[in-house]
Amino acid sequence: MEDYRAPVEVQWSPYSWNGGTVLAVSGEDFSVIASDTRLSEGFQIYSRDFPKTYQLGDNVVLGSCGFQGDVTTLNKVIEAQLKIYDHIYQKKMSCESLAQLLSTILYTRRFFPYYTYNILAGLDSKGKGCVFSFDPIGSYEREVYRAGGSASSMLQPLLDNQIGLLNQTGVEKKPLSVEKAVQLVTDVFTSAAERDIYTGDGIRINIISADGVDIKEVPLRRD
Amino acid sequence: MFLTRSEYDRGVNTFSPEGRIFQVEYAIEAIKLGSTAVGIRTSEGVVMAVEKRITSPLMEPSSVEKILEIDSHIGCAMSGLIADSRTMVDKARVEAQNYWFIYNEPIAIQGVTQAVSNLALQFGEDDDEKEMSRPFGTALLIGGVDENGPQLYHLDPSGTYTQYDAKAIGSGYEGAQAALQEVYNKSMTLLEAEEKLLQILRQVMEEKLTSTNVEMTAVRVGGKFQRYSKEELEVILARIKT
Amino acid sequence: MANPFEYNGSAVVGMIGSGCVAIAADRRLGIQGQTIATTFDKIYPMNESLYIGFYGLATDALTVSSRLKYQLNLYQLRENRQIKPKAFMHMTSNLLYSKRFGYYFVEPVIAGLDPVTKDPYIATMDLIGCPMETKDFVVVGTCSEQLYGMCESLWKPDLEPEDLFETISQALMNAVDRDALSGWGAIVHVIEKDKVTTRTLKARMD
Repeated sequence: MEDYRAPVEVQWSPYSWNGGTVLAVSGEDFSVIASDTRLSEGFQIYSRDFPKTYQLGDNVVLGSCGFQGDVTTLNKVIEAQLKIYDHIYQKKMSCESLAQLLSTILYTRRFFPYYTYNILAGLDSKGKGCVFSFDPIGSYEREVYRAGGSASSMLQPLLDNQIGLLNQTGVEKKPLSVEKAVQLVTDVFTSAAERDIYTGDGIRINIISADGVDIKEVPLRRD
Repeated sequence: MFLTRSEYDRGVNTFSPEGRIFQVEYAIEAIKLGSTAVGIRTSEGVVMAVEKRITSPLMEPSSVEKILEIDSHIGCAMSGLIADSRTMVDKARVEAQNYWFIYNEPIAIQGVTQAVSNLALQFGEDDDEKEMSRPFGTALLIGGVDENGPQLYHLDPSGTYTQYDAKAIGSGYEGAQAALQEVYNKSMTLLEAEEKLLQILRQVMEEKLTSTNVEMTAVRVGGKFQRYSKEELEVILARIKT
Repeated sequence: MANPFEYNGSAVVGMIGSGCVAIAADRRLGIQGQTIATTFDKIYPMNESLYIGFYGLATDALTVSSRLKYQLNLYQLRENRQIKPKAFMHMTSNLLYSKRFGYYFVEPVIAGLDPVTKDPYIATMDLIGCPMETKDFVVVGTCSEQLYGMCESLWKPDLEPEDLFETISQALMNAVDRDALSGWGAIVHVIEKDKVTTRTLKARMD
C-alpha cells in the first residue's frame, strides 16, 4: 500500500523565552540596576528566586534576560574574557571597554544570535554613573536610564517621564539621588508586575557606587 | 653520535648542556651590528631617535625608516635586521587595532609589547606551522603614552621585555647607555630629552650627525605620534651646537 | 495589511476620577509608517456626558461610530431619556457581536457619567464585543503596553478633574512617544456633571 499521509513539517526551534525584566538608572556618581526574580516559560514559573543581574567587577553589573540558556553562556564567555584581559593587561576592564567587548561578542553571533537583552550599569573610568543598553546582536548606546526585557515597554515611557522629565514643562532638572532612584525602580517594577505575567515574585536592586555594590531585595506579587 | 660543544648552535630547537640556545644569543649579537637607537621617557612624553646609515650619496635618505608608528599613541624604534622588525611592527599594529576594536580604548604600551614578544619565540625548524625558522635578529624600543602616562619598553630577540626610563640599542649601545645613565633625571623635560638624544647619537656615531642622517619621533602626553621634520631637527641641532 | 489594528495607529485611554471621567486619544492618522493627518479625532461624543473612542482600523471606527449614533438616536427618541453609559456599552457590545464572524477591526473605549446618579463609568471591549468594566482606567491602542505601564504607575483613586486631566495627559503623551504609530498631538475630554472640558495637547511630532 502506498502511504498517503500528508507531509510532516518539522520546525527547529533552538530558542525559548524565559521572561524577566531589567532596569538601570545612572546618577552623578552612582548607578542602580535591578531585575525581577521570576524565571518562567509560557504559563509555567520555573523559579521565584532567580535574579537576572550579574556582578562582573567591583563596580559593574550586567542585567541580562531573554533565553536563559544563552544568558548563562554569554555570562561565562564574558567572565572568561575578563580573566584573560586581567592576566594580559594587568588591570581591571573599564565599564566602557566592557560595553565594547560585549558588543563585539554579541556581533560574533550575528547570524545565530545569543537571544539576550542586555543592560550594563556601573561607574565609568571617570567615576560617573553609566548605563549601556544593547540589542541582541550588539548595537549599543550609552544612556541615562533604560528598561529591558519582558516589561520594558511598560517601564520605559515612565522613566522618560520621571527621570527624563519628558512632556513636563516648568520643572527644573535636579540631579537624581540614590534614594529617589531606588524608590522609582521599586515603584515601576510593582506596576509592571501588575500587568506582565513574566515579571514578578521579587526585585533584586544593585546600587553601584565607588564603595562597591550594595544589594537590596524587595518582594513583588507572586501571581 | 658525538656532538662537539659548538654543534649545539646549529639548531634553534636544542639547548646546549649549559642550558643555552645559541641561536637566540647570536641573534642578540646581530643587534650590535645595527645602527644605534635611543629613547628617553620624560613626564611630558617619550622621544626616540635613531641614526640612519647613509652608505651611498646616491641613496635617498628619507626612504630609510627605522622608527615606525604602531598606533597614534605608540611608536617603535628598531635596530638589527630591519626586515624582521617590520614583521613585528605589523603584528603590533594589528594587535593595537584589534584591542581598540574589542575594547574601544587605546591599547597600553605593555599590551603591544607583550603581543610582539609572543611573536619573538614563534620560531622552530621542524614545524611546518611556524612562519620563522630562526629567531628575529632585531631589538625594539617601543614608546608611547597610555593611561599610565609615558612608557618606554625594550624588547630583545629572546622575547624578553623590560621597561626603561632611557634605553639605547644597536652598535653604539654601550657608550650611549652609559651616557643616558649620566644625563637622565626624572624631572627631565621633553625639550631636554630631544637635545640629550641627539648629543648622545653624535657621540656614538661614526658619521657626522646632520639633519639627514638622524631620525627622531616623539609621543607627547595628550598628543599623537609625531615625526620631526628636517627643519625641526635643524632647530634642535642648532641648540646643541656648542 | 498584516494587522488591520496597526494599519492606521492609535491610542485611547479612559480614566475615572472623583465625580468625573476623562477620555483621551492621540490624533494621528497614518497608513502604516506614513502620517496622513495629525488632526484626526478618534473620540466621538454620543451625548453631553458620554463619549466613545476607537482603537483600530479608522474606516471601521467611522462606520461603527455612525451606526452607534444611529442606534442611540433611535433609543433616545424611543425612550425619551438619555442612555445610561452601561446600557450604551451593551449596545456597542451587541453591535460588535452581531458581526461575530466578519468583525469590525476596532476596540472601543467608553467613558461617561450616569445621567441620573452622575456616577463615573468607563469600559472597553474586544473587537467582537466582550466587555470589560473597570474602576480605574482602560487602555487600548498600538501602544497599550506603554499605556498600561504609565497608567499603572500614575493613576490613583479620587483624582479631582484638574489632576485627572494632568494624569491622563501625561500617561497618554509619554506612552505614544514610545510608539511610532501613534501620537502627533492628543485630545483630552474631562467629563464632569455640569460640564465637559476639551483640550488639545501639543506633542512631539515625530
